[in-house]
Amino acid sequence: MTVLIGDPVLEELRGILGPEHVLTGKADRLNRARVPAPFPVHRWAERMPDLVVLPASTEEVAEVLRLADALRIPVVPRDGGTGLTDGAVPLRGGIVVDVKRINQIKEIDLGNRTCTVGVGINALKLNEVLARHGLIYPDDPASYPCSLVGGRIGTSGWSLIGSRYGHTRDLVLSFDHVLPGGRVIHVGDGIGRKITKSSSGYQLKHLFMGHQGTLGIATEATLKLFPKPEAEFSPFWAFEDYDSAYRAVGALARAGVATFAGAVLFDEWKVDYLRRDDEAYIPQPSSVKALVCAALYGYEDEVRAGGRRLLRIARSLGARYLGDEISEGDWAARHDRYATPLHGRTKSGQVVPMSWHCEDASINYTRLPAVRLAWHEIAARLRRESDVFDDWGMFAYTNGATGADYLTEIDIGIWEQRLDDTAWAAWVRAKRDLAAVTLEHGGSISACHGSCREGEVDLVPEELGGGYDVMLAVKRAIDPNNIMNPGKYLLDQAYAEEP
Amino acid sequence: MTYRHQEEMSPPPARRVTDVAITRFEHVYEVEPALMTEHVTQQSFPNWDTLRLVRSRADHLAWMHRHFAGKVISGEELLHDLDE
Amino acid sequence: MPDPDERPEKEFAEEWRDAAYNCFSSGHKFCREVCPVMQVTRNESWSPTAFHANVVAMEKGELEVADVAADYVNCTGCGACEVRCPNSLFTGDFYRFRTRTVDLVKAVRGLAVEQGVHQPGWRRWNQLTDERRHEPVLDGTPVDQGRVRDWAEGLELPIGGESILFVDCEAAFVRTSVPRSVARILSLAGYEFGLMNEQWCCGGPAAEMGYDEQARRFARHNLDDWRAAGVRRVLVLDPHDYITFTEDYPRYFGDAYDIEIVLVVELLAELIREGRLTPHVPVERTVTYHDPCRLNKRKGVWREPREILRAIPGLTFHDVDRVSQWSYCSGGGGGLPVEKPELTAKISEQRVGKAAELGVDTLVSACPWAERPLSDAGRARSIDVVDLHELLAESLGVSP
Ligand SMILES: Cc1cc2nc3c(=O)[nH]c(=O)nc-3n(C[C@H](O)[C@H](O)[C@H](O)COP(=O)(O)OP(=O)(O)OC[C@H]3O[C@@H](n4cnc5c(N)ncnc54)[C@H](O)[C@@H]3O)c2cc1C
Ligand code: SF4
Ligand code: SF4
Repeated sequence: MTVLIGDPVLEELRGILGPEHVLTGKADRLNRARVPAPFPVHRWAERMPDLVVLPASTEEVAEVLRLADALRIPVVPRDGGTGLTDGAVPLRGGIVVDVKRINQIKEIDLGNRTCTVGVGINALKLNEVLARHGLIYPDDPASYPCSLVGGRIGTSGWSLIGSRYGHTRDLVLSFDHVLPGGRVIHVGDGIGRKITKSSSGYQLKHLFMGHQGTLGIATEATLKLFPKPEAEFSPFWAFEDYDSAYRAVGALARAGVATFAGAVLFDEWKVDYLRRDDEAYIPQPSSVKALVCAALYGYEDEVRAGGRRLLRIARSLGARYLGDEISEGDWAARHDRYATPLHGRTKSGQVVPMSWHCEDASINYTRLPAVRLAWHEIAARLRRESDVFDDWGMFAYTNGATGADYLTEIDIGIWEQRLDDTAWAAWVRAKRDLAAVTLEHGGSISACHGSCREGEVDLVPEELGGGYDVMLAVKRAIDPNNIMNPGKYLLDQAYAEEP
Repeated sequence: MTYRHQEEMSPPPARRVTDVAITRFEHVYEVEPALMTEHVTQQSFPNWDTLRLVRSRADHLAWMHRHFAGKVISGEELLHDLDE
Repeated sequence: MPDPDERPEKEFAEEWRDAAYNCFSSGHKFCREVCPVMQVTRNESWSPTAFHANVVAMEKGELEVADVAADYVNCTGCGACEVRCPNSLFTGDFYRFRTRTVDLVKAVRGLAVEQGVHQPGWRRWNQLTDERRHEPVLDGTPVDQGRVRDWAEGLELPIGGESILFVDCEAAFVRTSVPRSVARILSLAGYEFGLMNEQWCCGGPAAEMGYDEQARRFARHNLDDWRAAGVRRVLVLDPHDYITFTEDYPRYFGDAYDIEIVLVVELLAELIREGRLTPHVPVERTVTYHDPCRLNKRKGVWREPREILRAIPGLTFHDVDRVSQWSYCSGGGGGLPVEKPELTAKISEQRVGKAAELGVDTLVSACPWAERPLSDAGRARSIDVVDLHELLAESLGVSP
């Protein structure tokens, strides 16, 4: 159903939110029809919502959902709009509920070491305030400066330093969640706002995280806090071949160092890519073919002891330490060097502005080398077909402290201005193929962003098996009228038998 | 300190570093300008702007360290410990 | 519908396409949380990202400038988004290609005016400026050519000379103690300078609000006036003028532009360093410093004002570093207070709130345009807003 200007719904919404918080302008809608993930520019307007609302409270969100549910109007939650699986992009028009105004810090509880915030807040901004208390909320995605707490919940995001502090699911203790019919529930471990472990009832917190807005809208969240680390150590090492780097990253991750917050492996393609424009790698000798970095956080004495241990391990495996300047600079730049368009090159080497696609599977350590080769092959096929695609290389980041599995990322540059229907079809095929490789190797299609984009989403039922049927049943039970972000995750199937 | 248009628009001469990069200011690399002739062309870039960005980058990186931790441990120092 | 290829939006996009796509293809919004307007409105339609994306939409025929002209009011031109954008901060110097939100916003405003789409407040402001040659800075303050040097009464400054002091409209007609302080300090140091023969508004505000023809006309007048008097060097105390003279004028006049532009705070810091000025009168205040956006973010000037503050005896100085201040703004720039004073007020309140958290009694600024909105917000929290030049004058024992 679409809402037309002049519709009585508009008047009701204006009554709920105040007229200035109901937007119907075309630019207002176009700018909420996009996220950073590449999409053909000529099809942009296909994803426009009918209108946008900017609520300021849980109550306002609840009233909007009540109204939308009664009138069967699609609703798409949007927070930072940085998600990479098109979660915040409407597929069926309707109302975008943009929650960025719900961004207050409600409480900092020093005794229990938690804080309660509106989901429109950004973690970097929150941490500027928490620093005054010597505390930190360590959810550190590469999108740290721009993603917001609601989107972190909606995607169940992944953090660069998650091996030490956990990921969003571990760091968000509980939250207020508005169900599609407008009912407000509180989900956490058990009922408690600040409880970190409960065995009471079903564990609903996981269910209401990572659903990409298909089960309702989180509005206020209670977060787990840590002491701001006294010290940080982030060594970068160079290797002469991928295999040595691969062995080293595995050994570092398995070492069991308590302050270990994460390690990253860069392959040859990634090093070549860095040589295009990264001041640290332009002057590196051609013998440098792969890189590894690690990060440690904690008290200074602990970090020093752990750091020495990791340096010893790396050295024994043929690593060359790249020096303090590169190590410090590159780690501090960890958020900033992803979506840089001018990294793009045509086959003849000309600079073109490309958008960034980040394939983000979870892959077990022992499968990394095989997945890597298969993925680069797919990227090479795309590049052969067209200058629209460019292989930007691969990273593998530890998911946890034991080194079992890695967020495995191939970055592909896509020249959106030239992304015509043929190139898009080639891309969707490639997306499906990338996901298929992941499943062949026992991995999960997404470690951080979610998997509802064209191409990848086709394989989600296969990944989840019987679990996908449960997902359909849950969706139908919680959102009987399919108003929440319809069209995502192929969930329309849940309503197949309905008249 | 003083802004003089002519000076600002005259960058130091370029020196080649790799096939795809040159350098004009000390420790500052730039793309080989020939790579930006067909699809995206370079902007007019006064010297102050180049230096502003280079210095801001350094300030930003130092800020990011401070934002996450009280101090940064030197790997060179720890490696030295290992050798003792 | 007009021929799609002759739409003015299409022509505009020809010029701005690369800049717009360089953001559109990232779309990652690292600029959002540093943008002062976004901080107080949380409305994504008024984000740097949207300002770029709209150009792509105009190119594709999805939008006309009339649809978005009012959105582009919501920008103070502070430059935070540009400097924080990874496409500037990390690769701008490498590619000699950086994010240009401020220029783009100005250009869209210009396109709107060209197409006859006006914002009422801005139109009136620029009409009055055109009539009087100076901005109608504050209701009730008489502004006209006959009074442009009134602020200097009794200082006995010469007209003309190799170096002249250019005084922005706000300082010349409202914040007159600022230029008086500057003049006294420079005289104390024995620095020779004069005033312009017939100073007009620099034209920068007109350019910021989209009235390009007027901006160029004013610039032309000023340059001709300087040339006629043999001026080689223009001393500038207002950060906004500094931008106009080092970015707009070079664009208007190209290689023929041979006037040296000197920023007064930089000059004063140097005079202190050289021992030609020695602040000695203790100023018993607990202060923090507000980095004017146009100095810190847009020009990278942040050290010298701090040097001056540290040279003043008696001050207790609680500094906030320049990077944290990328997300601070007074809200006073880019014509915002003319069209949306309520947003300016919110931004100022937020800025003063940050100062209040430090437990200071004084917020020091170095930008006359920031001082009015900041003072308004400061009153509610009993925080004085003081101009750096005035504070230095006080410590040098020269009264304005
Ligand atoms: C440069 C860059 C780097 C990135 N790096 C990482 C990374 O390291 N790790 C990582 O995990 N992700 C990363 N991402 C992806 C993205 O930042 C995350 O997915 C993030 O969690 C999205 O947050 P957001 O606030 O932008 O949400 P949005 O994009 O607005 O929304 C994301 C999803 O959540 C839903 N949603 C939004 N708000 C709510 C709510 N209140 N309640 C319920 N559902 C909601 C939306 O409908 C959508 O489906 C990166 C993105 C970029 C651009
Ligand atoms: S201006 Fe820069 S930071 Fe902001 S969205 Fe565009 S590219 Fe990203
Ligand atoms: S210049 Fe400042 S106000 Fe304007 S969009 Fe950028 S950050 Fe926002």
